[in-house]
Amino acid sequence: MTDSPATPLELTSRRQFLNRNALGLGTVALATLLKDENLLATPKDIPRGPRSFDLLPKQTDHAPRAQAMISLFMHGGPSHMDLFDPKPELTRHDGKDYPGNISYSFVKRASKRLLGSPWKFRPRGECGTEMSELVPHIAGVADDICLVRSMHTNINGHESSIWYMNTGRSQPGRPALGSWLTYGLGSEAQDLPAYVVMPDPSGHPVDGVRNWSNGWLPPLFQGTVVRSRQPRILNLQPPKHLVGELQQKNLTFLAALNRRHLERHRGEADLEARIASYELAARMQTSAREALDISQETRATQDLYGIHDNPTREYGTRCLIARRLIERGVRFVQLFLNYQPWDNHSNIRATLPSICRKTDKPSAGLVKDLKQRGLLDQTIVHWGGEIGRLPVIENHGDIKKCGRDHNGQGFSTWFAGGGFKAGIAYGQTDEFGHRSVVDKVSPHDYQATLLHLFGIDHRQLKYLYNAQDQMLTDHKDCRVVRDILV
Amino acid sequence: MPRLLVGLLLSLLIPGTASRLSAADAPLTYEGDIRPILRTHCFDCHGAEKEKRGKLDLRLRRLMVAGGEGGPAIVPGSPQKSRLLARLTAGEMPPGDKKVPAAEIETIRKWIAAGAPTARPEPDQLPDGLGITPEERSWWSFLPLKRPVVPAHDASQRIRTPIDALLKQAMGDRRLGFSPDADSSTLARRAYLDLLGRPPAPEELAAFVADTASDAWERLIDRLLANPQYGERWGRHWLDIAGYADSEGVTNKDVVRSEAWKFRDYVIRAINANRRFDRFITEQLAGDELLEGSRDKLDAAGVELMTATGFLRMAADGTGSGADGPAARNQVVSDTLKIVSTALMGVSLGCAQCHDHRYDPISQDDYYRIRAVFEPALNPAAWKNPGQRKLSLYDDTKKARAALIEAEAKTLEGERNKKRDTYIAQALAKELAGFDEPLRGKLKAAKATADKKRSAEQKALLKKYPKLNVTGGNLYQYNQKHADEIKAFDKRIQAIRSRKPKQEFLRVLMEVPGQVPVTKLFHRGDHRQPRHEVAPGGLTVTAPDGQRLVIEPNDKKRPSTGRRLAWARWLTSGRHPLVGRALANRIWLHHFGRGLVNTPGEFGKMGEKPTHPVLLDWLATEFADSGWDLKRFHRLIMRSTVYRQVSTHSDAFAAADPENIYYWRKPVFRMDAETIRDSILAVNGRLITKFYGPPVPVKEDAVGQIVIGIDKKAASNRPGNDIPLKGEDLRRSVYIQVRRSRPLAMLRTFDAPVMETNCDRRVPSTSASQSLMMMNSKFVLDSSRDFATRLGGTVPAWVTVPDGLTGIATDEQQMTARRVAWAWHLAYNRAPADEELIAAMAFLDDQLDFIKKNPDQQKGNKIPSKVLVLVNLCQALLGSNEFLYID
Repeated sequence: MTDSPATPLELTSRRQFLNRNALGLGTVALATLLKDENLLATPKDIPRGPRSFDLLPKQTDHAPRAQAMISLFMHGGPSHMDLFDPKPELTRHDGKDYPGNISYSFVKRASKRLLGSPWKFRPRGECGTEMSELVPHIAGVADDICLVRSMHTNINGHESSIWYMNTGRSQPGRPALGSWLTYGLGSEAQDLPAYVVMPDPSGHPVDGVRNWSNGWLPPLFQGTVVRSRQPRILNLQPPKHLVGELQQKNLTFLAALNRRHLERHRGEADLEARIASYELAARMQTSAREALDISQETRATQDLYGIHDNPTREYGTRCLIARRLIERGVRFVQLFLNYQPWDNHSNIRATLPSICRKTDKPSAGLVKDLKQRGLLDQTIVHWGGEIGRLPVIENHGDIKKCGRDHNGQGFSTWFAGGGFKAGIAYGQTDEFGHRSVVDKVSPHDYQATLLHLFGIDHRQLKYLYNAQDQMLTDHKDCRVVRDILV
Repeated sequence: MPRLLVGLLLSLLIPGTASRLSAADAPLTYEGDIRPILRTHCFDCHGAEKEKRGKLDLRLRRLMVAGGEGGPAIVPGSPQKSRLLARLTAGEMPPGDKKVPAAEIETIRKWIAAGAPTARPEPDQLPDGLGITPEERSWWSFLPLKRPVVPAHDASQRIRTPIDALLKQAMGDRRLGFSPDADSSTLARRAYLDLLGRPPAPEELAAFVADTASDAWERLIDRLLANPQYGERWGRHWLDIAGYADSEGVTNKDVVRSEAWKFRDYVIRAINANRRFDRFITEQLAGDELLEGSRDKLDAAGVELMTATGFLRMAADGTGSGADGPAARNQVVSDTLKIVSTALMGVSLGCAQCHDHRYDPISQDDYYRIRAVFEPALNPAAWKNPGQRKLSLYDDTKKARAALIEAEAKTLEGERNKKRDTYIAQALAKELAGFDEPLRGKLKAAKATADKKRSAEQKALLKKYPKLNVTGGNLYQYNQKHADEIKAFDKRIQAIRSRKPKQEFLRVLMEVPGQVPVTKLFHRGDHRQPRHEVAPGGLTVTAPDGQRLVIEPNDKKRPSTGRRLAWARWLTSGRHPLVGRALANRIWLHHFGRGLVNTPGEFGKMGEKPTHPVLLDWLATEFADSGWDLKRFHRLIMRSTVYRQVSTHSDAFAAADPENIYYWRKPVFRMDAETIRDSILAVNGRLITKFYGPPVPVKEDAVGQIVIGIDKKAASNRPGNDIPLKGEDLRRSVYIQVRRSRPLAMLRTFDAPVMETNCDRRVPSTSASQSLMMMNSKFVLDSSRDFATRLGGTVPAWVTVPDGLTGIATDEQQMTARRVAWAWHLAYNRAPADEELIAAMAFLDDQLDFIKKNPDQQKGNKIPSKVLVLVNLCQALLGSNEFLYID
């Protein structure tokens, strides 16, 4: 914006506003400084009313372990007893009836007939965590993985459980995890959005765009969608006839108008912030293009993610982009799949291997790549969905075509890096895999633990909405699961 | 702006706000210092309920000394021996994660060390519950409303109204004063954006500027208040706090509320009609109880009253779309109470739903008293889901007409059926003729037997010869002509039925006569744990001690209980301490971009304190005393010097008050989302002023953005082709459908609320996505083009440019310069300064030059380059701060 001829409009004091931080840091920082001071005769830990919001990095409650997170969200309910949670008892009782009560979703097709996993498990890596033959690549990084086998939402529905995991309450309308993180931590990225969402090019996940809604948090904290096709980021690029220098000239003229206006309104932080936000938007155009360009990666790196193999090309590309984004300071990247491919109600023998083929190698590749770059320590990789599946068969008439119904009572999720212990398996479901029974981890525990790794006490991260303190963990009893942290 | 800072400074600066800081050396007392801490952390178990844990009651100093099962809680003068302190310090109490902060424990220690003094002798008897202390009553928002004395006016200090006098008084001897009055263009633009939500058209502005009469400003305000666009603008403010939405939310379906818009129109109409605000509130709380006569025969006034109750049907509600059950119903009740209390009283009752409020003197009983006011109409035990709460507007005349028409249709239907049966029989006979006896006889007999009476043999026989199954539906296969004849009948029948008067519905709230549920307090807010019965009434703290509003549980003179009406009358009595302050504060907030209390939905201890409490109280009493007249109130505020002064910077005043707490200048603030969109459409000349009616639909576009459009998915479940909107897309934003799950991208990006419950204040944000929207979104690009098209048309003769400016010599340059000047008038309501004009001309030349040198980039672009550069200029104006902020 500086290389065009000076116009008379620019003769106004440019230095004056450049002296201040582009984001009006002067006043904002003062407010931040005063934030912790109990200067009002009112309760201390209640956030004050409406303020303006920004994406400047925020002071954390304690030293953070993690700087960024990549969430590989596995919609539909990955079948834990076929992937990560071996159940010898289930295998032994294959074909017999489940002895206890079961919470079904699809009663009409429900049965009590147990289905031992058709796939073989064996101990992996030095840690010896057992994983199934369906996920050979993930199993290959078992020593980097913290596997939690005792997740539960106690709700069988997809949307409700997704909301619970992602927003802290099993109802729609609240801000997503990424919005909370961005609100609580600010952004480290100079010219990229802090919270990026990468949907599947084939279609949106279940519940669509609400998966990355900022709810009632200011739109500043909304997830930015990076698409696989143009336009990669909505409104990022102008139409062809404006791209490049022409739009730059427009922005230069706009900046001149704004500076002249600011001259009459010196000290208005809002006006300065808007000027800065246009500059940021322009920088984003360049930096986003660069960040999304995976041709800059070596063949070896691309191969880690399976970018040259058909089944893995698409997902691998997104995983690789996710790594490039967090490398550039993006705080939170979440990948979604089309609709909910893990929802294997029928023909699980075919549908489950298929979605594993798509995601296994890229997920493992991401962990390997982060590790070899020294980024894994400060980056949380999350792999998991909102529910698991039942140990009994869902009967569609033909036993060969059977599947498994929803199970919100117990399922597995794994993490790597960012302060999670490596090479451990934590928690247990019952002998058939229906319910979490030992060291249970709730969605609120999951959220509290993630915030903790980012240096935030989940009880301190609040937002005043509807005259009430809102929290990601929704004022519910929960714990930081310290046993699984370094 | 760091509002926080404003709040902090004010508590230091403003006399009269109960700042603890100023009283730092005052002795600590139980009532003033200790009780608030215990209330927050301890009273749930050791005071609020009849049963005290460990038999320890902390509600009085002497009870603390007496102690519980573990012995005395405190030993005055001896912190070391005080068990309470030891347990707090060790973190043993309170149980759970939340601990008493160290600073507060220290306060308790000091107090004990000082001998644990009380402010006054403690009572001998203590009723159950927490009661309300004089200290708690003295919180600013609970104090009885008294009209402050306005200092003597002094015209030399530019004091035009009591507002100016009170602010000048607040400035005191600080080196502050009011800034000069803004020029008439700035003022007019300010007033239009404020009252109508769009800038003045250049002709409108010119008329005002040319008006040199001394009351020109007052008459402009009157003109704007008489313009129905005023109701669209100020109605929108009310819709925010009412939580207006065109869909139910809660469940994934987010079902559309097809009648909600009638409430929206009611609000706009009432605001335009300047309905007395006490009446406006009462209609919304109890329109059904104001109704004289039957609900089945509504006249226009009755329809209006019933429509108003839609206010109490705004909460998100999934009980008709898959999320029904006691918990879901109770959630709707509590959300409705939340809307009512934040909108009208500026307090968050919600905190008292589960336990006595931890900070404010609002007991759990108080909460259920208010709930009892609403429960006869919002009764979880006899719930009306959204489908059942529709009130049909079919009156007797319409019903009779419909019945007549239906009879006519029925007659024709009879005729048709007769004919159809004949034709079927004919076709059947023809088919049967093709069979030989004895089969023919058997088939004939089987057909002649009714379905259910056929023998198994007959059934099998008929199954074997499917072609005998002649019906009205397949008659065409046997005789096309006959089938066509029947079809013609159908058309005629349909045509007759379509003449019936259309049945319209309202979304209302009303009681079922005779159904009066008993309201019970829910232990811990859990509807499965009902406890004692609670009678309807007002909040205890809002009336003098011992005079809490008692509401007759059942007004025998009415078909309904009359509870809501009685409560509404108390709210609007002019003596309610919260209502007047809450309303006056909101009106001020919309005029100045910030409230006198910056947490308009929270006047308790969790909120901010008023920056100018005396002014707030004066405004609150003035609003009620002058007849709840909103338009008069606008005039009062807008006539003031504080409103009319410039918004620009002053070194001298900024030195004394950098945050402009004392309003030495008019605050600058960004247009809200709707104003931005409406103003862009107004500037480019395409805004359509069509009032009222069903909402403009929204849809998800091909890239997942929510835009205006008709949602018609193609077979592949991908977004279908655009369906012409016939100008609907150019209507004001207040008419765009508020689908909770689909907030319009353009509006949401600029902070339009997402309606989970309601929105008690919009928090403006500044983000790169807003900038990207202004740079590259289809709406802004299209609008810039429309703007340029307007510039390319006739430029009014009065738009001229000075002679002899650099770069403006030829006739063509003159013409271009006049178009540029016209753009300035349209977007900014002022002429460009000479150097701005020169710069803009240089910008156009520079761009043209660039395009000439880079022709490839414009290949395929249908906009001629001379127009394109003008489009770019327009886009810069629309994205600029001068356009987006209200000076």
